Amino acid sequence: MAQVKGSCQSFCPDGESKMRIREKLLHYFELKNGQKNTPGVLVKEFTRSAADAKMPQAKDMRTEQSLTKTVEYLLKDIILDTRKPYNVVYDFIFDRLRAVRREIVIQMFDARQTIRLLEPIVMFLAYSRYRLSVESIEKFDPKICNQHLQECLTGVLCCYEELDRQSSTTTEEPTLRQLERRCYIEGLYQMFNLGSPESFVRALTLPDYVRQDATFRLCFGICLSYQQGNLYRVLMGLPQLPHILCAVASIKLQGIRRSLLQIFTHAYNNKQLTVPAPYLLRLLLIDSPAGLQEQCRHYNLALTPDRKSVLFNKTDFRQSAETLSCRHEPFVESKLARIYLPEVLLLKKI
Amino acid sequence: MFGTVNNYLSSVLSATDDYDGEALGTHISLRDVHVQNHNLYIAQPEKLVERFLKPPIDEVVSAHLKVLYQLAQEPPNYMEAYTQQAAACGAVVRLLQSLKDENWCLPLMYRVCLDLRYLAQACEKRCRGFTPGHVLEKAADCMMACFRVCAADGRASEEDTKRLGMMNLVNQLFKVYFRINKLHLCKPLIRAIENCVFKDSFPLPEQITYKYFVGRRAMFDSNYQGAVEDLSFAFTNCPDRFASNKRLILIYLVPVKMLLGYLPAKSLLQRYDLLLFHDLALALKAGNVKRFDEIVRDHELVLIRSGIYLLVEKLKFMVYRNLFKKVFIIRQTHQLDMDDFLAALQFVGVTDVSLNEAHCIIANLIYDGKIKGYISHAHNKLVVSKQNPFPPLISL
Repeated sequence: MAQVKGSCQSFCPDGESKMRIREKLLHYFELKNGQKNTPGVLVKEFTRSAADAKMPQAKDMRTEQSLTKTVEYLLKDIILDTRKPYNVVYDFIFDRLRAVRREIVIQMFDARQTIRLLEPIVMFLAYSRYRLSVESIEKFDPKICNQHLQECLTGVLCCYEELDRQSSTTTEEPTLRQLERRCYIEGLYQMFNLGSPESFVRALTLPDYVRQDATFRLCFGICLSYQQGNLYRVLMGLPQLPHILCAVASIKLQGIRRSLLQIFTHAYNNKQLTVPAPYLLRLLLIDSPAGLQEQCRHYNLALTPDRKSVLFNKTDFRQSAETLSCRHEPFVESKLARIYLPEVLLLKKI
Repeated sequence: MFGTVNNYLSSVLSATDDYDGEALGTHISLRDVHVQNHNLYIAQPEKLVERFLKPPIDEVVSAHLKVLYQLAQEPPNYMEAYTQQAAACGAVVRLLQSLKDENWCLPLMYRVCLDLRYLAQACEKRCRGFTPGHVLEKAADCMMACFRVCAADGRASEEDTKRLGMMNLVNQLFKVYFRINKLHLCKPLIRAIENCVFKDSFPLPEQITYKYFVGRRAMFDSNYQGAVEDLSFAFTNCPDRFASNKRLILIYLVPVKMLLGYLPAKSLLQRYDLLLFHDLALALKAGNVKRFDEIVRDHELVLIRSGIYLLVEKLKFMVYRNLFKKVFIIRQTHQLDMDDFLAALQFVGVTDVSLNEAHCIIANLIYDGKIKGYISHAHNKLVVSKQNPFPPLISL
């Protein structure tokens, strides 16, 4: 198949714009000031490759520059739009970025081009995975988000490897910024796949500059502790991670808390003796006594009447209980509150 | 050898007429001396070969001669040679299918598949322009086609069934899958072998290779008991003259056994130049956490390359257990101060450790059954069982 090279300079090819305006198929974010039937900025929709669809032509494909601008527009202007709840914003951006990903494939971009476009998409999916983790299933499906995030991550990682292979033949040196971005994304892959032997093995074989990067080493240390079974170090490491990494890692937090509580039911197993709540709060990274009470109720652990300590009993632990669902952890929220989101998602500043 | 092409082809013909699979295998082997015969380097040998041989064996031989031709180029054209070898493999599949109730040509199949793998490896090493592992994966597909024909031959009698070729192929496929890191693809192959009624009558060398790979896979799945069984079988049955193979087996067998509580004998490790494990075992025995970490760090690359880094890191809690047992032996009491454990950790050189972490480590050891007892947080004490507070690791 011949390579199609896009020629469209805008966010949305003319043909699609005309059709969607005519058929009134505009998304809320594509209407001018949200007014009905007044077109604003249109962005190319995701469509599947299907047998009845025509082979995409050059004019239906965007140039690399225009794709970059599209990603920037979505992750700068739309993501900060507060007129609609974030899950609506997510759905819109998710779909439009998926169209971008499809064009990367059809136009057969090289590793360098692909990395530039995919990195922000990975960041967006990772951020959204955390931000929407508290939503109900009707509003957000974490499984689908995980799948796409994993797919984008592996896509970027493959491109990094290709660049590693090319580096022996070309003289083109990657910039410090590119290296820094790679280290961040590699760390993100590790945290997102915390506990998986495959991803851990990958971490062991990465080039030295990645393995020596401070942020990556932090991630690696957490993964190593996790593999060794030292959950204490995992928990103490999490709050040290920077913003989005911390957010992604916190998705695993409820599971880790559960494991540690289960271990404690064996270790502190006693009918009379209790374990003070402040100690547990600190270890489990829980900010309020209410949070601990919720955990205890859920896994059937007894609190003393004054609610200041917990009675552990290994037979009482409710094995059958599902792990508590994710929540927005205060230590993550405070990190996210301090960043300017578009800057971080577009990896201008990490 | 053979002198002219005609001589070579008539020799192939007589091997075919004699149903001599071994001889036929040698004739199309890339490791046989005939590959040095310049008269056999022919770009388009089809016409000539057809005069001597019937289909589909003629295709195998033609493809083989083309492989020789491509490899004789300056520089050798590995990619094209691989493509021709894959064609030979395809022809072997057709040959196998055409021979009902006969399995004399299995040695031919082994040879073609083996050379296919070697060529794929050469391509991976020397050629560019594809994602790594791609050619090997394609080669595995060709071998799978052979495997399917063999596995489906259920009606022939036990002596004549092509199912006898399964284990050889499975071992070849294992080698590819381990190299390209696609261990999940091993599962159906293992199932096919385990369900085979005569799985114990495969040749011993093949069984050894098979158990070696199955053991390694069990290890990655954290099925350590199974891994020890398979790897031990491979180690004890592998003849002593294959010292490097025995060493390879030990690289996995030793750490897995350590994880189950068995420490290796120094003499054994010495014989196979694996003293790294002796150092690890000493640190483990002494409960010297710092020393253990240092050894792992110093040999990081070796451990990573052999794929046992993660396994060795999992020994860490056993090091803690041994250290804490020493605290118990010194104190001679069943109520042990938690601060003593912290002091012990600091004594062996772990500086970045807190009392909270000591609590968590001990909690973990209790949960795993490595220590019998409970912690009293209020008194900051570990109360250990009167009987067998540190059960031997092999009993867990």
